[in-house]
Amino acid sequence: MASLKHLPAVKGAKVLMVGAGGIGCELLKTLALSGFQDIHIIDMDTIEVSNLNRQFLFRQSHVGQSKAKVAREAVLKFRPHISITPYHANVKDSDFNVDFFKQFNVVLNGLDNLDARRHVNRLCLAADVPLIESGTTGFLGQVTVHVKGRTECYECQPKPAPKTYPVCTITSTPSKFVHCIVWAKELLFAKLFGDKNQANDLNVRSSDGASSSKQAEDVFEHRKDEDIEQYGRRIYDHVFGYNIEVALSNEETWKNRNRPKPIYSSEFMPNDLSQQNGSMEKNGAANDISSVSAMASLGMKNPQDVWSLKENSRVFLEALKLFFLKREKEIGNLTFDKDDQLAVEFVTAAANIRAASFGIPLHSLFEAKGIAGNIVHAVATTNAIIAGLIVIEAIKVLKNDTKNYRMTYCLEHPTRKMLLMPVEPFEPNRSCYVCSETPLSLEINTHHAKLRDFVEKIVKAMLGMSLPLIMHGSALLYEIGDDLDEEMVANYAANLDKVLSELPTPVTSGTMLTIEDLQQELSCQINIKHREEFDEEKEPDGMVLSGWTQAPSVVKDDKESIANAGSTSNEPSVEAEKNDEIEIPPEKKRKLSEISEAVYPDLSSVDGDTRNPDKLQVLDDDDELMIFDNWDSVTDKKIRMQ
Amino acid sequence: MSGGIARGRLAEERKAWRKNHPHGFVAKPETLSDGTVNLMVWHCTIPGKTGTDWEGGFFPLTLHFSEDYPSKPPKCKFPPGFFHPNVYPSGTVCLSILNEDSGWRPAITVKQILVGIQDLLDQPNPADPAQTEGYHLFIQDATEYKKRVRQQAKQYPPLV
Repeated sequence: MASLKHLPAVKGAKVLMVGAGGIGCELLKTLALSGFQDIHIIDMDTIEVSNLNRQFLFRQSHVGQSKAKVAREAVLKFRPHISITPYHANVKDSDFNVDFFKQFNVVLNGLDNLDARRHVNRLCLAADVPLIESGTTGFLGQVTVHVKGRTECYECQPKPAPKTYPVCTITSTPSKFVHCIVWAKELLFAKLFGDKNQANDLNVRSSDGASSSKQAEDVFEHRKDEDIEQYGRRIYDHVFGYNIEVALSNEETWKNRNRPKPIYSSEFMPNDLSQQNGSMEKNGAANDISSVSAMASLGMKNPQDVWSLKENSRVFLEALKLFFLKREKEIGNLTFDKDDQLAVEFVTAAANIRAASFGIPLHSLFEAKGIAGNIVHAVATTNAIIAGLIVIEAIKVLKNDTKNYRMTYCLEHPTRKMLLMPVEPFEPNRSCYVCSETPLSLEINTHHAKLRDFVEKIVKAMLGMSLPLIMHGSALLYEIGDDLDEEMVANYAANLDKVLSELPTPVTSGTMLTIEDLQQELSCQINIKHREEFDEEKEPDGMVLSGWTQAPSVVKDDKESIANAGSTSNEPSVEAEKNDEIEIPPEKKRKLSEISEAVYPDLSSVDGDTRNPDKLQVLDDDDELMIFDNWDSVTDKKIRMQ
Repeated sequence: MSGGIARGRLAEERKAWRKNHPHGFVAKPETLSDGTVNLMVWHCTIPGKTGTDWEGGFFPLTLHFSEDYPSKPPKCKFPPGFFHPNVYPSGTVCLSILNEDSGWRPAITVKQILVGIQDLLDQPNPADPAQTEGYHLFIQDATEYKKRVRQQAKQYPPLV
């Protein structure tokens, strides 16, 4: 495969592949056939049946075994004399430290999540080893080259965080089905079945004021001796009827919006409930918890049917009942899981009833599951194309052919007869908080915000650290990890609940915090600026971090535009092609029944970004506009699909 | 900015220690009564080596780092009056690798310091006495010296 002139570089190279899934299988095969002779593979996963349609190195008999090990054996069958070293382990394990990375000439990523990608990026920077990063989402894919000091690192450009929506859109003014899904799974499901101690905004708008919210709390409690049917209907009437009435009473909200319609269970269900009773028998045989299903007990079969409001109401009540009757032990600990049939049924029904209330089209369980679980179909061919491109770039890196490095985007539709769009890599972003040393700055109310807020919203969510150390000068404010002794754990736990200005070493305006991670080789500094007021709508976190992206405005726009993605996505967005596919796990476990779900276009998150368009160098001059057009149509289609 | 250098290095030392450290040893930044965790002072425990008279003792040692660390070594102190030929009456340890003018190098880690001091416990250096009592007994009365060492080990039982 490889032409002979590459051979010396290829033969002598020691490469690390991270991930042996969809891209990884293709990549290992292509590396082996291209003449690579020393390949190390890390993958923590074991083989699942749902992998077999595209991860062609694996067979049914391998299910349950280590991907890295089986991939090695499969390739050694046709390339017996090369060396392949498998690690059935998490790349974030401390064994894979900077020294480990230093032994490689190049690192090739075929990962499925942002967390691991950031981790590998940071280690490659620390070890000064070139990284070739890749990802696919359905027909879309990209390969990018990251060489320290020469090209941008993986984190030089902001990555869209998993979509978040402004609380008010979710709690009171949903306009799209996805808002109803988020409401059903993040608020209602969490409230009824999740950890009771978690903050939950379900009732935020229905009862302003502290006194009444306490009362509202009780509404969701299953009272002693209360009939489970009665309980279900009480919840139903509260969230779909009463809460909507309360919302309607605020006229201001509805001036420019369609008024929602309160829905009560009595509209669809006679009060005698005879329809419901007896249905349990069908379910009686199924004592296996995982097979408990409201659809089954109601005799509904096709997950692709769009249920009527009445059917949704029945599923809602039935699912709620089944949770209490069959899975009572889990209540209080449940989080939504797309593979949990009963949970999906409940969320689908709840989202649909809410959608009906707000005049939003209803969706089938199949579609709702896709939206709730962020599912995208993987396309084997895309993986193969991307793996080929990774090897091409790897060879350039090994030959130090810096002028010809390319980032390549695999498009869904040919643009000017090109399916692959090569772009010259960008220079490192000088204000990147990962690969440069410029301090970040954070506006925050140091008298109100607690250390916990800072850790959760900034250190974990934005900086992507998992085991952070937070330092103020030579004082440690926070650490986390299994190795800490009780005394320290207690001390840091106490700090978490203190507001910044009241920490043992107070954090005030002008404080420079240093934040490091125990495992990642990353240290960054944050300059604290006290600010009294924040706009609740635009800055819901109550803090604004700048210096690591085009920050405040983008973060804000992101949320705003998601709420009305249809209207803002018309803007040409160059960053789109960089970002939209990156987040979505290409090899996420999926079942045949899962649908291709459009990524809520991260495309819309980029308006207002002025840096990128300047930097984009499309190799074929006229492509630029075409690309925008193309991307827009992709976006529009995706939006419509929801 | 030397303070910044010391802090940065101490953060590295802290992380390295948390990831991996020799069995039985403790080393952590001191926690003040108000909850401040101070990286400049570390409270450590050194276990006496098995098979020596020091076995069974878990000896508290405090490392005081200066702003000039790691150009300058930390000051390492046992409790005042600690019985050992190379420990000053104040508790300060006298050891070549802790001496800026002889053995100290900025690359020496906290782990190396603690292991070095553990070695010193059973292998005193009579050429460099720091206290009269320990030194004289070590030189003149081996039996009494051993007895005192064992006594001291019992005085510092494991914390847990």
